Amino acid sequence: MVVGYGTQKKSVVTGSISSVKAKDLEKVPSGRIEQALQGRVSGVTIMQNSGQPGSSSTIRVRGVTTFGGAGNNPLWVVDGVVVDAGGIGYLNQSDIESIEVLKDAASAAIYGTRAATGVIMVTTKKGKAGKMTVGYNGFYGISAPEKTLKLLNATQYATLLNERSVAGGGNVLFPDLSGLGTGTDWQNAIFNHSARRQTHEISLSGGNERSTYFFSAGYQDQQGIVATDISNYTRKSLRINSTHKISNRITFGQTLGYSRQKAVGIGGTDEFGGVLSSAINLDPTTPLVVTDPVIANSAPYSVNPVIRDASGNPYGISSWVGQEMKNPIAYIQTRLGSYDWADDIVGNAFLEANITKDLKIKSTVGAKLAYWGGVGFTPVYYLSATTRTTQNSYGKSNEQVFNWNIENTITYNKKISDHSFTVLLGQGAYVEGIGGGQGTTLFNLPITSYKDASFSFDIPASSRTTSSYDATEHKVSSLFARLNYNYQEKYLLTGIIRRDGSSRFGANNKYGTFPSFSLGWVVSKEGFWTSNKLINLLKIRGGYGIVGNDAIRNFGYLSTVNGGFNYTLGNSGVITTGYAPASLDNPDLRWEETKQANAGFDATLVSNLNLSVDYYTKKTTGILRPVTIPGYVGVSSSPVANIADMENSGIEVELNYRKKIGDVTLSTTGSFSTLKNKVTYVASDANYISGDAGFQSMGAVTRTQVGESYNSFYGFRTDGIFQNEAEISNYKNTSGGLVQPNARPGDFRWVDANGDGSITDLDKVFLGNNLPKYTYGLTINLEYKGFDFMVFGQGAGGNKIFQGLRRLDIGNSNFQTVAMSRWTGEGTSTKYPRLTSTDPNGNFGKMSDFYLEKGDYARIKLVQLGYTLPARIANKIYASRLRVYVTGENLLTLTKYTGYDPEIGGGVFGIDKGYYPQARSVIFGIQLQF
Amino acid sequence: MKKIVIYTLATGFLLVAGLTSCKKTFTDVTPKGQFLSENYYANKDQAFSALVAVYDVLRKNSGGFENMISMMNAGSDDQYAGGGGATDGAGIQGFSNYTLNANIIPGSFWNDYYQGIFRANTLLAKLPNTTMDASLKARFVAETKALRGFYYFNLVRLFKNIPLILEPLTASNMYDVTQETPAAVYTQIEKDLAEAIPDLPATVTLSTDAGRLTKGAAQAILGKVFLYDNKMPQAAAQFAEVNGTPGGTSQYGYKLLTNFSDLWVVANKFNSEYILECSHSSAGNSDWGWWGSGRDEGNSLNVMVGPRSYSRPAGSTAPDLPSGWSFNVFTQDFYDAISGDPRFAATVFDLKALAAAGQASYIAGYQNTGYFLNKFLPRQADVRTGGGAMELNYKQNTPIIRLADTYLMEAEALGATGARAQALLDAVRARVGLSSVPVSMAAIKAERRLELAGEGHRFFDLVRWGDAASKLAGRGFVANKNEIFPIPFRELQGTKLVQNPGY
Repeated sequence: MVVGYGTQKKSVVTGSISSVKAKDLEKVPSGRIEQALQGRVSGVTIMQNSGQPGSSSTIRVRGVTTFGGAGNNPLWVVDGVVVDAGGIGYLNQSDIESIEVLKDAASAAIYGTRAATGVIMVTTKKGKAGKMTVGYNGFYGISAPEKTLKLLNATQYATLLNERSVAGGGNVLFPDLSGLGTGTDWQNAIFNHSARRQTHEISLSGGNERSTYFFSAGYQDQQGIVATDISNYTRKSLRINSTHKISNRITFGQTLGYSRQKAVGIGGTDEFGGVLSSAINLDPTTPLVVTDPVIANSAPYSVNPVIRDASGNPYGISSWVGQEMKNPIAYIQTRLGSYDWADDIVGNAFLEANITKDLKIKSTVGAKLAYWGGVGFTPVYYLSATTRTTQNSYGKSNEQVFNWNIENTITYNKKISDHSFTVLLGQGAYVEGIGGGQGTTLFNLPITSYKDASFSFDIPASSRTTSSYDATEHKVSSLFARLNYNYQEKYLLTGIIRRDGSSRFGANNKYGTFPSFSLGWVVSKEGFWTSNKLINLLKIRGGYGIVGNDAIRNFGYLSTVNGGFNYTLGNSGVITTGYAPASLDNPDLRWEETKQANAGFDATLVSNLNLSVDYYTKKTTGILRPVTIPGYVGVSSSPVANIADMENSGIEVELNYRKKIGDVTLSTTGSFSTLKNKVTYVASDANYISGDAGFQSMGAVTRTQVGESYNSFYGFRTDGIFQNEAEISNYKNTSGGLVQPNARPGDFRWVDANGDGSITDLDKVFLGNNLPKYTYGLTINLEYKGFDFMVFGQGAGGNKIFQGLRRLDIGNSNFQTVAMSRWTGEGTSTKYPRLTSTDPNGNFGKMSDFYLEKGDYARIKLVQLGYTLPARIANKIYASRLRVYVTGENLLTLTKYTGYDPEIGGGVFGIDKGYYPQARSVIFGIQLQF
Repeated sequence: MKKIVIYTLATGFLLVAGLTSCKKTFTDVTPKGQFLSENYYANKDQAFSALVAVYDVLRKNSGGFENMISMMNAGSDDQYAGGGGATDGAGIQGFSNYTLNANIIPGSFWNDYYQGIFRANTLLAKLPNTTMDASLKARFVAETKALRGFYYFNLVRLFKNIPLILEPLTASNMYDVTQETPAAVYTQIEKDLAEAIPDLPATVTLSTDAGRLTKGAAQAILGKVFLYDNKMPQAAAQFAEVNGTPGGTSQYGYKLLTNFSDLWVVANKFNSEYILECSHSSAGNSDWGWWGSGRDEGNSLNVMVGPRSYSRPAGSTAPDLPSGWSFNVFTQDFYDAISGDPRFAATVFDLKALAAAGQASYIAGYQNTGYFLNKFLPRQADVRTGGGAMELNYKQNTPIIRLADTYLMEAEALGATGARAQALLDAVRARVGLSSVPVSMAAIKAERRLELAGEGHRFFDLVRWGDAASKLAGRGFVANKNEIFPIPFRELQGTKLVQNPGY
């Protein structure tokens, strides 16, 4: 089993490490690597950030370790090279030999400063001595949405809007409902039920006693299910890994991966006018395309550069729902020709020398060179009175970064009678962020279509803008040591110490030291253990350690004078740059520390069942975060400080079972994890900080407070709906006044949580977690002769989702059909309030449990049926192995959630403002080996 | 071969051991594109850049969503908050219907002015050691003090009970701050401005320095400060120097524009009537990510007051406007007061009438009356042609103090009586072709309401006159509470600050 800077026999491992092997990965259709881990390793919560092809996922190893989004990403180490979480998409899944997740401090401490959020180590495939093998893997599939929302049709919409307007004292908006019919189904216009998806990969590997090699080339192409013309992704990748014995004692090896990714994205997926948000909020009475010549020849169509379809008819523009909402099909036309790209080169090279039989030294250099950027064309368009341009523009950006690291280790291995020990001494230096970027935008190009766009047009300087920046280097310097000891492989000990210095801290606290230890006892090797059929093997493990985190901005400890405090002086609009201190310094800024205790056991039961159970508690102290200081101090950006403590704890169970019954081989693996997160200290009188998720004018919808889970939902609690005036007048406070004097029948009754007799912000309470309390996964494999069958299910629960699909400030936005069950009179509803344009009670305007839904889900993620053709048939095409399969992905999701998809990642999970759902795919594939 | 490799490895070890042993150099990274505080303010150019950062906060008048003009308009009896809905901008809505509390008061009305004060305090502390020409340094000090005085003036008018900080705070003493009495704050403001006036230039070169403080501007601010501090003779004395002969050209070159409507022409920046203005530019490529911050040079008021989803049929005579967000619509009461006045058309954009005549259409916003603030409407011709968001790059300058305002303030400071007060009032009326009315407080009040409508003065005027409770009762105004804002909640956390009465 791969551990940091070496390998260890699984039987003597004392830490908590989960592992996924190539064999498991090969059944998962290629996508981002994070997805391949979901549900397969315990203690790791994975939520996809978007269904956009190529999109990343949010990963949390053993809960939320620190505050903020990026600081919680685990440390990815690919063949010894640290790769940032966002950049991991360059990896081709089929190139991976194994993935190990170091979860407990005692395992992760070898990565010291940046290991508090867990370490994910990826090892790519190496060649094996022997005959060359050539492989081909390919599949082709079709994707479609799993579900669409039920929205009001035109007649229902007009009915409800009339009711809403009249209740608010306004006019009847649609005097004549006849003839409205069902109207436009905007969702139908944007969803693609036959999006293409394909992957082709070839690999060559082999070698001899002295040299081995592995070569692969891959191509992945995936269309999105939403607005496919502006939602697709391709990746081309190459890999060359090789190892060479220079002499009997000296080995040289290298890995090198290259990939080019190109992604076309739909733009925003929030409430401010994404394709999905527009489709949900636009009124169904506006036509997709205006075919009535009278309307098409009048304003706004006749006097503006509106977008037209192939026959020259203008796309409909809503006169009811404005602001950022726009006809999504017209919007797609305005984004054609825009894309993002990334080139990544990641590799390492090492020299290893066996000085003596027991002493080994190794020197490794790793580097990542990444280039990325975007190209975008914006034509002159009029999508609505609010969303329009008066000039075209064509922009591109180019950014680059170079990271490198060097590590040197000495390993001494010795076995003296029953005592085995391994000592590792190491040193490392890491530099990230050598680079920068620049961008240029041209305006008023003499063209109308993106097809003609070029940066070679001679555009005057007054119609160009540029931007540029230098990246800031982040440097870490480290020394580390590890001792592994065991007695007869029965009593096990691992001790690690690592000392790191980071450029992100000042002289007062530049260095941090991180120790850890873990112990193991293989009970079943004891003399008193009598061999039995029930428990074949039992190992008890435990450990404790401290790891660190420096994931904050650079120079948080310094006060710097920055530009950007500008003013326009003179009468020609020239801007003069002003300089001022942006923040206060904090020379005492120090590491954030996470102390973690882990206890568990590994057992083999009834010879076929392997079971691992772990319990951990994890306490992070001195959480680094920009701290809110009084405004009267007068700095424009918050200084960084160590301001909070937080605890996570949980139980993790992993099991696998393998049994052969006649010709049938059954293997099952399962994982189950619980998670409890609690903030234990916040450096603020109020014991809380405002949450990180907000929704329009509601402001923050979460809050981070002592005693509660990180970013818990926070708002008013509803207690049914006032059915009549009597109920309102009976809702009195102790002095006899009405608690809700502005309420009308049909409005929510708010819980007066603080009992002061009126409804104020002080009545807000905690309404649930954004973090799932438990996650689980189960894989069942069946093999019978040439057939194999696999089903993989995965799920999460105990969390809430904020369902913010409808725009608050656009009163005429469409509703989901649940609004048909609104309150319309006594006894009509206890859940959905009356509709009124004024909403004096804040039924819709206040953050409350009305917006929260259960996030529990169980998903049949994958079902695969494969058939390996008999060798004699494969041989006819000179193949050694030929397997064909069909896979269904996301075939079924059990959930009560009313949005598109309950799996919503991000800095705060479960914030749905028009989330791009995952696709359901059916895939046909071939695996060939020569 | 083997030896070579071992030597290479050994060298690699030594090299890196060297790297780590010189730890101080390896993990020390020097900031790029920014300066260390202790080295800055060394010379004239750096001092000027620091002075610009103090000016930056003048943007607050009409820059950013939370700007002074739209906010103060929303709390007056002439205008509503408006916007897209009842929840569009909790702060501005809360001020408009008098439900502001410590949680929804936008913190920026407090923070931004204190940011200006922090930069002023830092510069004043550093300037003595700056190597530069002494007279220029004196001017920099004067500008910095005048700006600090102006920022404190807005803070004390908005929040009344505020900390008076005259030196930059540090992490170790920032929680020891307490609130000062309003009287002490006014004394300091008057001192800052009085010290600044002698060292400020009478005029500036418009092409390069327009927007910087002049003697006249500082005197106009000081006069206004005295007026609010109820020091009427001192106020009148300052205003007299600014105003000169009513209707004529003053010693600093100030003169009422002949046409009232020319005040709102975007090209008329730094005209003879604007004494102190908030300067905007479309060249900043302002974008949503830093809207309302120091780099945002656009006028945000423009897009805020524009009608929503505005469009015109072919052949329409209605003006060509980009759409806006429907904030600050006028009340029917104000409409009735100004209809018939010569300033009506320049002040009110009567979209209700245009829509009724089929000349234009729009989507009604919240509290819609159809009467929009014409002085600051966004114009199609002013839509930016560079980068950034179209909504955020309007360039109309907005008046902070203009001559008609100082005329009427002087008349008020004179007790609304006497020949000069009469002449000042007459001059304001004569410019728009109105005949003389006998000067009185009532006449001055009526004149200020129509002349300065929508410029953010009305609420402060009502409070100063003691008329707020009666005029704003219908909006929920509570006397002895709503004259000032609540202190933002965050300012009370862990500090020694005390909330304002009633909140």
